[in-house]
This record gives sequence, structure tokens and C-alpha cells, in this order.
Amino acid sequence: MHGARSIVRFAFTIGMFFTLAGCCESEEKTPQAAPAGGQTSAAPKEVYTIGMSQCNLGEPWRVQMNKDVELAAEKHPNLEVVFKDAQNDTLKQRAHVEEFVSAGVDLLIISPKEAQPLTEPVAKAFQAGIPVIVLDRAVLGDQFTCFIGADNTKIGRAAGEWIAEQLGGAGRVVELKGLMTSIPGQDRHSGFREGIEGTDIEVIFEADMKWLESNARKEMESALARYDDIDMVYAHNDPGAHGAYLAAKAADRHEDIMFVGIDALPHEGIAYVIQDILDATFQYPTGGAEAIDVALRIFAGEEVPKHIVLGSRLFTKDNVADGGVAIE
Amino acid sequence: MTDSPDKTAAPALTVQMNPMLRFVASPAGRALIALALVILLGVIFHADGAFFKIGTHRDALRQASVFGILACGMTLVIITGGIDLAVGSVLALAAVVFATFTIHWGWTAWLAVPLVVLLGASCGAISGSLTAWFRIQPFIATLAMMVFARGLAKIASGGMKVSTAVPNDDGTYSYIPVPGVFRLIDSRVGDVLESWCGAFSEYLLSRIGGWFGDGLAWVFDAVEWIYVNCGIAFVCANVSVVTVIFLFCVALAWLLLARHRWGRQLYAIGGNEEAARLSGVPVRRAKIMAYAAAGLLAGVAGICQAAQEQQGDPEAGMAYELSAIAIVVIGGTNLMGGRGGIGLTLIGTLTIGYLEKVLSINAVPEASRLMLTGVIIVLAVLTQKRRR
Repeated sequence: MHGARSIVRFAFTIGMFFTLAGCCESEEKTPQAAPAGGQTSAAPKEVYTIGMSQCNLGEPWRVQMNKDVELAAEKHPNLEVVFKDAQNDTLKQRAHVEEFVSAGVDLLIISPKEAQPLTEPVAKAFQAGIPVIVLDRAVLGDQFTCFIGADNTKIGRAAGEWIAEQLGGAGRVVELKGLMTSIPGQDRHSGFREGIEGTDIEVIFEADMKWLESNARKEMESALARYDDIDMVYAHNDPGAHGAYLAAKAADRHEDIMFVGIDALPHEGIAYVIQDILDATFQYPTGGAEAIDVALRIFAGEEVPKHIVLGSRLFTKDNVADGGVAIE
Repeated sequence: MTDSPDKTAAPALTVQMNPMLRFVASPAGRALIALALVILLGVIFHADGAFFKIGTHRDALRQASVFGILACGMTLVIITGGIDLAVGSVLALAAVVFATFTIHWGWTAWLAVPLVVLLGASCGAISGSLTAWFRIQPFIATLAMMVFARGLAKIASGGMKVSTAVPNDDGTYSYIPVPGVFRLIDSRVGDVLESWCGAFSEYLLSRIGGWFGDGLAWVFDAVEWIYVNCGIAFVCANVSVVTVIFLFCVALAWLLLARHRWGRQLYAIGGNEEAARLSGVPVRRAKIMAYAAAGLLAGVAGICQAAQEQQGDPEAGMAYELSAIAIVVIGGTNLMGGRGGIGLTLIGTLTIGYLEKVLSINAVPEASRLMLTGVIIVLAVLTQKRRR
């Protein structure tokens, strides 16, 4: 009897759980105009509905991506964007893509969590006549309209070259790596090593801080305890560089060390450069605004390139007020 | 004793050996052996002498403090035979709310700190009530709170880190300085003492003149001389405020657990809940208070985390509950409840803290670090395994 009751309670709790989770699933905007079937948009329509499938809103960078899409779309009254957040769940994202297809959106923007499992749902949407823009992470094959992404290796290389230049070709660097089982972490690492190749830059301490500021601070404290002479900290993201700065500041050594990060989000990296915490940050663009540009060109019936590689920008104290400089 | 016949010789020997043996065999002794082994590891792999620098130990203690504060609360809950999986999420919620109050809204710490601590305590009280009144298993109730508090933290922060860059309505950002309370918590005891006492003595001397003022000035000088020359200044300059907060939490939890009736009740509940109820222990109230205390301490930990990161991160404290549980278990508190203590948790905190530090100063790669941590946790628990 008691067992049966606890089972009912357990089931009730689990039920509540999923109800709650369902409520949290973010559909930030509901389209006002009901989409008119799954037809391709050859003739201009009054309102285009764009489905935006985001893999995970846990990261500030992806929050920024959605924001960039939203801000760009707001400038065009004929665009209506519906956002869905898959909460880092591949199957949930697949379901979102399928929902967008059956709702008959005019265009699909997807920033996929991973390539293999999402290739087929994206291909099905594409074959159903819905133009698909893939953002940041790729899917396999060619069943999509346009891929927009940045190149982490290139950014890492640019950071390496900038660091080599700042240190006059020789110096002692601490590298605080992002999650090294992730592609961005690997690329930012290998690009950086390419950038400093052939110089006398020495990486004296490297540690995996898993993109987290608190870990970066811990690792930097160890580096500070171990080495009395550190010239530069290269962190794979801005929070990491900020954590390293806090560690150095606590040891009163922040004046002797330069700090470089990647991402350049307005409220993180750029804010840190303005506040004189970081010496430089390299932008990893979200491509949100570019996606809306491409979407408009598709709606206007123009040809768009299959691959768009976004450029990066370097922000330092001197140029941050002017919006940084582009890296070629 | 010496002239005893052969039959009593053996007991006499054990009486002589007993204090030492008994200590080694006691949970505290075993926990200390584990800690000593980890420190020995640090002495052997000292990373070019980095392990012998005072700063390394200051940092190790500071880094372990947030986990230690969580582990204190976890100990209370585990002694009742329960578990609290929500502490990491409550930490994030507290950090986000505290950062919002102090950075974005500019509230004074005197208002923000109690409110945030209260918020943590109410989260704990809710999961405690779910287990005590609705008899939901602690694992499930606190799992629900873990997910709920994480979601609430994300809503409260809008999914962004709450930092000194404050978004304006037009998408631009304005930048405000780091609040004083953040700097205070993230400083060292010496700095705080010196600035506060300096200001206090100057204030007094400016108000009091005459021969009494001169005498007072002389007393202050004497105190300062003792402070500087008797090593107090050195110690204070190398202890972080966060560590002091941790030690304060340890002392408070120890007092409640070992010296207060409520602590006895928690042990009784963990030993045998039904027997405790029959002998008149207010089981529900005591349990709810244990979870509330765990939540309260998670709130305190959240404040410390926010101060050290200079921001409120809704993703902070991910998997911290597992570290807290590991600390409690390595200390020697029994996961089934009824046995253990805060002193053990303090040793456990130091063990895990130093283990992380030793791995970190040697720049051990992440993969090997995870494996080594797993192996060492098992070894440490194995030394706890055989009980008298």
C-alpha cells in the first residue's frame, strides 16, 4: 500500500518535472501571422517567418547570437523570428527542426549541437523546400542553403602572431585552454601554436580550464606560484583571461603580465578591455546579423554563397572605442 | 603492571599501545592519514618548490573554502541519512541574485547578504519540507530543487552573467565599478584588519584629545607593534577572508552538531528515524532545519563565489554538489547517516583542496587529473572502510 503510494508520488513528481521543463522551453515569440503552408517563397510575402533553432542558451555567446539575430530582424518589420532552445539536447533540437518544418516556416536558421544526428533532419527541411542557414557548427553533406561560421584556427593564429609581436618574439606565456575535447578548444590551441611557431615564445604552463572563470583563476594561481616571471596569459575565452587577471591581481603581479582572451562579447571581453583588465581580445563573431542579411537575400531571390567564413576583429585599449580592427 | 604474571602481559601491552592505535583507527585518525598522504604527495611533487611557497597554501585554502562551506551543510544533511543535490544550483542562484542586488541595483551589503542567505535557506527548507512532509526521497526532492534553482538562476539573470557591464535598453553597455563588498570578501584578512583598525583608531584619536588621547595613541602603537612583530601580521596577510568565512561556518556547524540538542537529534534521525520519532525527537522539524541549513550555507558559498568571480554566473557551481559529497565521505561521515562530524569534513575539505592544488601546480593534464582524483578518492575511502 505504502509502496503504491510512493510510486504514485514519484510518477507525479516526474510528471511535474516534465511539465516544468516544457514551460521553460523557450518560445520567445509566437508568430502573429500564421504561416501559409510549406510553399517556397518565390513571390514576395508580407511577413516571412524564420525559425531559429539554438542548440543551447547556457552559454553567453549563444545568448548573444540569438540577440544579434533578434536585433537584426527587428530592423525589418516583415520578418518574424521564432526562437527555440534545445538546451544542449540533440534529440530535442531535432524535434525543433521537425516542428519548424511542419509549421511551415519560410526559412530555418540552425546552430546545430552536433553534425551527424542533425544532418538528416536539416536535409529533410531543405528538401521540403525550406531554405536552411547553418550557423557556427556545420552539418555533414551539402543539403543546406548556406553555412556561416568563423574560423577558430585563424583566430588562434592571429592571437599567437599578435602575442609574438607584442613580446618582441621572445617571452614566457601561460596558456589557459578551453575544453580540449571540444573543437573550438583544439582549434584555438593549434592555431595559437602555429602563430608562435619559429619565435622564441615559450609556453611555460598550460592547463585546461574548461571555459570556466573559476577554474582559470585556480590554474593561474598555480602558474603564479610556480613561475616568478610570466609575460603573457593567453586564454581561450575572455572569462578565462579575466579569471587569470584576478589571480594575478590578488598576487599583486597584474601590472607585469599581459592578458589576452577570445570572443569579445560586449559585456565580457570588450568590457574587460575598456576597464583595462585585458590587453586584447579577439572577436569570435556569432554570425547572427549576417544570417538575417543572408535570409533577406534569399527572400529577394538572390543567389547566396554556400560557405561564408566570418572575419574576426581585434580589440585593444587603443582601438576599442572605434570598434576594433578587422583581421584579414 | 610490571610484575604482572604472563597472563596479563598481553593486555598490558595493548593498554600501552592503545592511545596511538585508537587514534589511528578512529575516523579522525584515518582522515588525517589521507590528508597526510596528499600533503606528502605535494612534498614529493613540489613543482620546483612551488608547494613550499606560502602563497600556494593560501590559495589552496581559499579555493577549497567554497567547497568546504557547501560540505558543512552537506554533512548536516548526510548525518540525517539524507542527501542534498541542490547545493550547487542554490549556490548559482545566490551568486546571481547577490550580484544583481549589489552590482545592478546598488544595494548595500547589509541588506543584500541577509536576503541572499535567507533565499538559500528557503530553497533548502522547501526541499526539506518535501522530504519531511511529503516523504519524497531526499534524492528526488533535492534533484527537483537542483533543476528548479538552476532554472530560476537563469531566469533571474536572463541567461547572462551578471557582471559590472550593465546592459542599457538600446543594446549598449555601461560599466560600473566592482562593489566594495566583493573586494572585501575577496581580500586578505590583514588588509581588512589594517584598514578597519586604522580608520577606527584615527577616528577615535580625532575625537579624543588631551592626556587621555595621548595614552590611547600609545596603546594603539603598542597594539600595532605586537601585531607587526609577533607574526600576527604575517598570518593575517596570508589568510583570505573567504577562508575565515569557511572556518566560521565550520565552527558554527560544529557547535550546533556536537553541542546543541538539534545536533543530537540529527544523529538520532540518521541512526534510526523511527526510533528517534518514538523517543520524542521532532523528526520533521529537525530534518527541515538540516536542509535549510544546507541551503543557507549554499547561499553563503554563492556570495563567496560571486565575490571571487566579480560576477554572478548562472552556470556556476555545476557539479559542486558531487565535490561536496566526496569531501564529506572522504572525511569519514557515513553516507547511511548517524555517524560522522564537522571536524571530519574539515579534514576532508583540506584533503580534496590540497589534492587539487598538487595536481594543478604540477600542470597535470585534465584527463590524468580526473583519473588520479578517482583513484585517490577510492583509496581515501578505503582507509575509512574498516570500522571498529
